[in-house]
Amino acid sequence: MADPILQIKGLEVAVDGRTILKGVDLAVPQGEIHALMGPNGSGKSTLAYALAGHPRYEITGGSVIFDGRDLLDMEIDERAKAGFFLAMQYPVEVPGVSVLNFLRTSMNAVRGEEINPRDFMKLFQEKSRLLEFDPSFTDRYLNEGFSGGEKKRHEILQMVMLEPRFAVLDETDSGLDVDALKVVSRGVNSLRGPNLGALIITHYTRILQYIAPDVVHVMFEGRIVRTGGPELADELEAGGYAQYGSPEPAVAPGA
Amino acid sequence: MVNAPGWAAEVRQTATANLDRLPVLTGEEEEWRFTPPADLGLVGDGPADGPAVGAQLAASAGPRSANLTLVDGAPSAPALGEVPAGVIVAELGQALIDHEELVRSRLYSLIGFADRPGALNAAHWEGGTFVYVPRGVELLLPTETLLSATGAHGRVTSRTLVIVDEGAKATVIDRYRSPNLPSPVTVSTATEIIVADGGELEHLSLIEWGAGVRHHARITASAGKDARVRSVVVTLGGDIVRVEATHIAAGPGSDSRALGLCFADDHQHFEHRVIARHEAPQAYSNLLYKGALKDQSHTVFFGNLVVPPGAPGTDAYQTNRNLVLNEGAHADTIPFLEIETAEVKCSHAGAVGRVDDEHLFYLRSRGVPEDAAKRLIVLGFLQEVLEHVHLDEVRRELEEAVARKLS
Repeated sequence: MADPILQIKGLEVAVDGRTILKGVDLAVPQGEIHALMGPNGSGKSTLAYALAGHPRYEITGGSVIFDGRDLLDMEIDERAKAGFFLAMQYPVEVPGVSVLNFLRTSMNAVRGEEINPRDFMKLFQEKSRLLEFDPSFTDRYLNEGFSGGEKKRHEILQMVMLEPRFAVLDETDSGLDVDALKVVSRGVNSLRGPNLGALIITHYTRILQYIAPDVVHVMFEGRIVRTGGPELADELEAGGYAQYGSPEPAVAPGA
Repeated sequence: MVNAPGWAAEVRQTATANLDRLPVLTGEEEEWRFTPPADLGLVGDGPADGPAVGAQLAASAGPRSANLTLVDGAPSAPALGEVPAGVIVAELGQALIDHEELVRSRLYSLIGFADRPGALNAAHWEGGTFVYVPRGVELLLPTETLLSATGAHGRVTSRTLVIVDEGAKATVIDRYRSPNLPSPVTVSTATEIIVADGGELEHLSLIEWGAGVRHHARITASAGKDARVRSVVVTLGGDIVRVEATHIAAGPGSDSRALGLCFADDHQHFEHRVIARHEAPQAYSNLLYKGALKDQSHTVFFGNLVVPPGAPGTDAYQTNRNLVLNEGAHADTIPFLEIETAEVKCSHAGAVGRVDDEHLFYLRSRGVPEDAAKRLIVLGFLQEVLEHVHLDEVRRELEEAVARKLS
């Protein structure tokens, strides 16, 4: 087996002085898609933000090796340049910064060279079609006035344009109807292959019907408590998180 | 103004007499507590003349119907392009003679000479701009005046009078520029804008002085019935700049937009005092000023919505937002309301904040380095005002000027 693209060992993270992650061990080999499931408050999103380098998340122990480098030692933007991508659950609105200007700036930064404007527009149009992203949004400001679904589409649009080596999808499925979920999954699957590792964070099994995971991890109270194959998701779908002491189901309400 | 008509000479005499008669401004006055009047040359004789600094100042970026350049405020003839019949773009001193009828009734009508800054301007101005667009005429291309300072004159004084007659339409640019000057220069400008019933005007004040310049700018615009006035004040240059912009809703149904953006760095001090005065009922005004600051700079915003009795149906908004980029820079914002009519819709807001960590994190998580991310955020913050600048080449130029300040 190849070296994992992401190797997390004993990771401890505190937010505002409160310890949330209490020693997370997780490895994702390059080319695999892993699901990270768990009830609310188990620490899934904390892991996502900590990996991306959000300043509010304080690393109090452990290590993260990303593609052979110490991820925790890297600046936020360096992580992106190294091929790490986080699709956020609640992407912020940034007033006055247009979608197109942002995407171009981001691509140029990640690639380390100016992309030809014509190539950029071609790529943007092609990927917008794939994600059914409304092209009239280009002049809009970043996430401003976007619906929840449009924000998620826009996150995955960025992902397919930047072509990261590893992506964390933080509850990308939440708030999406089935049609939107299919579109977003199609975007992720378009990158699937030996050059993409991914960690799909979700409370519910629904998205895993469209993006089939190679491995499923269950997180509870700040630790990985179980790791298994895709069947583990089926088990959670049937029994919810009861065996971990949480009454929450793993089937989306209304699904 | 050697051959100025008698009434103009009388104004000058009265203004000069007023300067002797009026009490000296001490800076203790409430409206002067943020910017010492002495720093703007409003006390004493102002700075001495100094060596002239030669610099080629770029001409306007886009096509203009008329260009007028006033070096150190000295009169000169405008370069006229194609203008429709009846449109006048002239040097103001010359217009006193050539267009006395039009000028006499309006000059000093909005900015008088009964107070010290007004008297100082009226007593000293030599060159200025006169724009007249007759009834129903649309002036497609903007007019542009460049007032420059070379340092050769310690005091630079100029005046602008714009008249947009009934149903007429125009865009007028007043640009203020100089190289960095080794000795201080104080500049006084007074801009009177009269837009008659149904007229439309876009006015841009682009304050781009080099170091050494202190500028006291007064701009008063009056909007007649159903008139539309949009004023954009952009303050980027100069050591000390105080802009007093007043929008008068003189006629019902008028629509006044007061937009401003400033970006202060180094030790720059900018004060903007913006007033919307609703003298007629059923008028709309919207005031939006945004400021960015860095280094050791200081900005002050004072905004006031004045609705005297007898202006029901007033619809007026006022917003000032400031983005402080580092410790050491300081913004004051004072939004004010004086409402004496019932049945009005008015709101005001003022805020001072820092770059939002979440915005920064989002952009950086997409590979954008911290400095570039901050630049994007600040440009984005100012974009809300910039997008109201309809002239593409001016907007681009301003975006570049802001970006230069950020680098």
